[in-house]
Amino acid sequence: MNLQEKIRILAAAAKYDVSCSSSGSDRANQPGGIGSAAKAGICHSFADDGRCISLLKILYSNHCIYDCAYCVNRHSNDIQRTTFTVKELVDLTIGFYRRNYIEGLFLSSGVINNPDFTMERLVRVARELRQIHRFNGYIHLKTIPGGSSRLVKEAALYADRLSVNIEIPSEGNLKMLAPEKDYPSVLSPMSLIKEGIVQYKEERRIYRHTPLFAPAGQSTQLIIGATPDSDRQILSLASNLYATQNLKRVYYSGYNPTNLYDSRLPAITVPPLKRENRLYQSDWLMRFYQFSVDEIVNDAHPDLDLSVDPKLSYALRNPHIFPIDVNSADHHMLLRIPGVGPKSAKMILAARRFRKLNSQHLRRIGVVMKRAQYFITCHELPTATIQELQPERVRSMLTMDLRKQSLPNAHQLSLW
Amino acid sequence: MLEYLYDGTFAGLLTAIFHAFRRKEYPDVILRPQGQRLLFATTHTVETDDVMAQRVLNGIERYGGKTTCEQLLHAFLSQSNNVEILILQYARELFFQKRPIMADLGNSFVLQIHKLDRRVLREVQRVLMFIRFERSADGIYFAPFAPKYDVLPLTVGHFKHRFADQQWVIYDTVRDYGFHYHGKRVEQITINAPAFSRDSGKLSVEMEHENEDDYREMWRVYFRSIAISERLNPTLQRNFMPKRFWKYLTEKKV
Ligand code: SF4
Repeated sequence: MNLQEKIRILAAAAKYDVSCSSSGSDRANQPGGIGSAAKAGICHSFADDGRCISLLKILYSNHCIYDCAYCVNRHSNDIQRTTFTVKELVDLTIGFYRRNYIEGLFLSSGVINNPDFTMERLVRVARELRQIHRFNGYIHLKTIPGGSSRLVKEAALYADRLSVNIEIPSEGNLKMLAPEKDYPSVLSPMSLIKEGIVQYKEERRIYRHTPLFAPAGQSTQLIIGATPDSDRQILSLASNLYATQNLKRVYYSGYNPTNLYDSRLPAITVPPLKRENRLYQSDWLMRFYQFSVDEIVNDAHPDLDLSVDPKLSYALRNPHIFPIDVNSADHHMLLRIPGVGPKSAKMILAARRFRKLNSQHLRRIGVVMKRAQYFITCHELPTATIQELQPERVRSMLTMDLRKQSLPNAHQLSLW
Repeated sequence: MLEYLYDGTFAGLLTAIFHAFRRKEYPDVILRPQGQRLLFATTHTVETDDVMAQRVLNGIERYGGKTTCEQLLHAFLSQSNNVEILILQYARELFFQKRPIMADLGNSFVLQIHKLDRRVLREVQRVLMFIRFERSADGIYFAPFAPKYDVLPLTVGHFKHRFADQQWVIYDTVRDYGFHYHGKRVEQITINAPAFSRDSGKLSVEMEHENEDDYREMWRVYFRSIAISERLNPTLQRNFMPKRFWKYLTEKKV
């Protein structure tokens, strides 16, 4: 099989892994070497589905001895299979990198022969890139479930980021769909990596020449909608992982109907994109807006409201904290205002040291006043807020607004 | 009405600001050579002077710090209408307040400078994202680009650091100049008899390295395969990667 053909098959087999970020590492160029990592990451292209392409995201092989029901590469699936050689992948990465197509490599694989055999190949690709080609670009390796701790540790010496995919948000459902897997075997490499990172960071403080150990941390992925797990289950798991395993990112991947004849899986034709999007927004609220998971989903609201974003949903459920005075509220409270993002919150804090802000200032700073107006007071005559209008009115005014925005489209449709 | 004429360079503008301060006057417009002249105006022509420019720059740095200098340079590069007057206003306010005013976003010209700075930085970022190199027969990696603003100089450091072990050329096809890195230093160049097509950015066939077509094709195959067909979203793709960049993009050009 020629190389183009392998790329076609093994890229398509990797496309359901949503992570592509190249951020979190600032590995510098070593004299005589090629490449560097940019702390914030760089996207180099956008695929036809609109997703960023930053890394060469590809599988080493799509052969797999396991049979996870939700995965295209499962053993029982009748598809064309192929495997790279280490040299092919190394040369391809360098060739693409020198042309500025990519920031680096994101390598994963189906399980060939046994976990260690596979993991050893992935580690070898990373080692050759780093040691023979002195490649300083970004490397993200996926750890193979069941791989030995020796190989996981070695992987961390070459990779900027490691990921351990949990895939199914609850252990019971994981066991049902992937009989060969269980939570302990997924979580133990995660803990191992976390401890390694802490330990190497300590040592680096003392000995400057301690090698890097997964400097961009680790991430995981959860599949959404393949199992009946609630949003509360999913977000609690994520919040827990951020807290206990120090994960850099949790990715949510709406289940793509890759298995149409298995009755253990839901019969859907399109992935649950709206829900996936709401989960990402909730994840942002936890990471950048100082929200706790219970404020987003709880016993009374175990699932996210698909019709409004989770921040607005929180505001509508908690009218008593509004209106917030933008000229005196602290950072934490500013971040709760619908229509105010982390950037505009910072700008408000800076700008109000010079003068009291009115709605025109806020608009110029980038606050979405259409939303914010119901939740704030500022330096001008007060307008009707959620207190006077009641949450239900505000909700209907804001969702009506949204519908108006999409009207031209609907109009076009009705014409045809 | 009072109009200043300057040569269109940043140093020229700083000199103009120096003149305005020294002459204690406030021009209505500061015009680049191609600028639209006023009908009835007193004209003062500014001769660019590096010493005067440096003094203004030092003042800006003293009160506003390096970041302010960079912000003003970026805003200047946007070539936005009347950006010169905006920068003059900013400098006056800065020298009056004698402290950084960057955060005073309730102030309309501070905010405008802030936005122009961001607009230009975004274009810088896009060069880093979308530039594509092709390898020539003599081993030089060549990349044409058509940026909206004159930002190539701001990207040289990045490429020099990243591709330290390969010879490369990045070339602005709109302003017709570029930079060549030959293993040690970066030099500014102009290509007289282009061995590449301005429309496609492609090197002529005899100039191209023999493997180049393979890499191009492999990248295109990868690009097509990585998209999830159940989720096609051309609008989103174009928002992130506007059409104006496609002409030199290996995966998008025809
Ligand atoms: S082990 Fe990984 S590649 Fe193999 S079937 Fe399961 S999820 Fe797919």
